[in-house]
Parts: sequence; structure tokens; C-alpha cells
Amino acid sequence: MATTIPTSAFIATPLRCSTGRSSAIWVQKAQFSASSSSLGVSLSLKRPSLRLVSVRCETNGAGMPVIPAEERWMYEESEINGPDIWNKTWYPKAADHVNTEKTWYIVDASDKILGRMASTIANYIRGKNLATYTPSVDMGAYVIVINAEKVAVSGQKRSQKLYRRHSGRPGGMKIETFDQLQKRIPERIVEHAVRGMLPKGRLGRTLFTHLKVYKGSEHPHQAQKPIPLPIRDKRIQFVKK
Amino acid sequence: MTRVRRGYIARRRRKKNSSLVSGFKGAHSRHTRTINQQTIRALFYSYRDRGRKKRYFRRLWITRINAVTRENQIFDSYSQFIHNLYKKQSFLNRKILSQIEISNNIGLSKISYKIIKPNKVNEERLK
Repeated sequence: MATTIPTSAFIATPLRCSTGRSSAIWVQKAQFSASSSSLGVSLSLKRPSLRLVSVRCETNGAGMPVIPAEERWMYEESEINGPDIWNKTWYPKAADHVNTEKTWYIVDASDKILGRMASTIANYIRGKNLATYTPSVDMGAYVIVINAEKVAVSGQKRSQKLYRRHSGRPGGMKIETFDQLQKRIPERIVEHAVRGMLPKGRLGRTLFTHLKVYKGSEHPHQAQKPIPLPIRDKRIQFVKK
Repeated sequence: MTRVRRGYIARRRRKKNSSLVSGFKGAHSRHTRTINQQTIRALFYSYRDRGRKKRYFRRLWITRINAVTRENQIFDSYSQFIHNLYKKQSFLNRKILSQIEISNNIGLSKISYKIIKPNKVNEERLK
């Protein structure tokens, strides 16, 4: 279980002071700290003798501001009680899918069945293993594949599976077998497999850029500290007969 | 006959329509004839999609529950989880389940432990 609570989920709204009553008690001088989130204004203080005092409003135990009963009509329900999580399905905010905070996974492709491996990879790239999965948003992780030239296929696919491409001109179809392509550009085999399993469209194309395939066991992403991809498919290892 | 102008009648009708398509791209929110067509489409889609909205969200909740159930590995899949939920006669619906799993790391696994039936296969999992 590698789920983390998304940053936007159900965090109390910024502290709001109710009228007059409570703020007079706490504030010594009429100064607001520059980091007070309920104001959009930051005040720059030039005189060094003033002390910065943060405005602290009365709050109840849940961190929500206390709003007296006579003033409730002024506020919306979400400001009084917090966001309504039981009637509004969670949708990610920008802070929930920052690319720099996504997990990086690494898979060693040696002797793994091509399609089964590609299927798990596509799931993780798309984010379908997460509770926060959203089809319209890129919530998935990055996946590195190494040793791509050692990926395995069963049966006669090594000599019979065809990779076709067309240049657009008449008579421009080029056909290669799995074998030939693996000698020429081994990364393309894994990329082709995973791309076929990702959604096709604008989002699918950005998802595909989260896949990094390398032949050989070196990859330039050590700084991202990739963790091994958890694979639960029991038939993914290629068994030579 | 004297010349009769029709006044503001047409303009009033068109202004009412154009408020329905505000924000549409290009001519679709500016030209009266295309505004006519676009309001018809807009109203049609909103009528149809009020029914579809219910389907979309249920689909989203099911996908999310499926994701977490497979991660937790107490049940193999969403279908098994729901089957056991029904056997235990729980009234939790999918919307609530998916919101629980997002707001709370272990909420869904706690529910899973409560509804899993102890038998040979499951006892191994529970260890």
C-alpha cells in the first residue's frame, strides 16, 4: 500500500476571523504577519521597532473558525463546516500531480514476457493503481525499463511477429520481424507495446513520455531514486522449454 | 403601406439564447445563426448528460475502489470485494467507499478485514 493522502484532500479552509470580536483579544498591535493566508496582501514593514504578530482567531477543535450563530448566514456551508467530502467526489488540484513529486519505478526487462510486462507498466504510468486515479489527469508514476534488448516473447513470435510502419507514400509499407527490430532498435519494441496500452489522445501522449526505456542496465535517472516496480503477474517470467 | 419596423422582438429573443452559449469558441458565441444551432445542441447535451453524469461517476468510483482493492491484496479484485460486502449486508455505496479510500489511508483495508470470510485461503492472507 503506497498511497499517500493527496495534499488537497479535505484541508481546512484558511483561517478567517469573525467580525471584530475575537481578533481584538489576540492581536496586540494592528499588524498582520506576511504569511497570513486569509489576506492576499503582503505588507512590507520598514520600521524595525514594530514586532510582527500573527493574527490568531478563535478556532474550534477541528481547526475551523468559530462563527457565531447570528453570523452564519453570511458564510457558505463549506466555510462553516469545511468541504463536503460525502457529496463531492474528489478531484485533484494542481498540487496533487506535480511531476517532480511523482514516484519513479524501475523494471528489469530481461526474460520478461513482453505483453505482460507492458500491461503492468501501462497501469502504473496511467495511475490506475492509485486511489486518486482520475482519467482526465496525469496522476501516474514514471517507469524506467532497463535491459530492453533482453525482453522475451513466447512461441514463434521472435521470428513471426511483425512490426509494420508506413511512410505515407504508396508502396511505402515497411515490415520487420521482432528479431530484426530487436537487433536494430531494441527500445522500440517495449515502447511500441506500452504505447498500444496507454490511452490515445493528448493525455496519452504525455503519459507515454513518462516511460523511459534503455538497452543495457545503465540509466541516467539515479537521482530520482527509482524503486522496483511491484509486479503481481505470476506468468511474467519467460520459461525456456 | 407605411414602413413597419419590428422593433426589439427579435433582438430580445436572440439575447436570451446567447446567454446560454456564452464562452463558446469563436462564431459559436457571436453569430446569431450559429448561436441558434449551438443552443439547441447545448440544451440537448445537458438533458442527455444529466443521466450520463450518474453513470460516469459510478464508473469512476468503481475504478478507484478496484485500484485500492488490488493494492491492498486482501481481495483479488473489486468484484470479490463487492460480493463480500453484499454477503455481509453492508449498505456502504461506491461513492462513500471511494471517498473513504482517498481521505483515509487504511479505511478501505479496515472495511475489507471486517467483511472477509475466514476460510483456508483467506486465513493465509490475513496472516
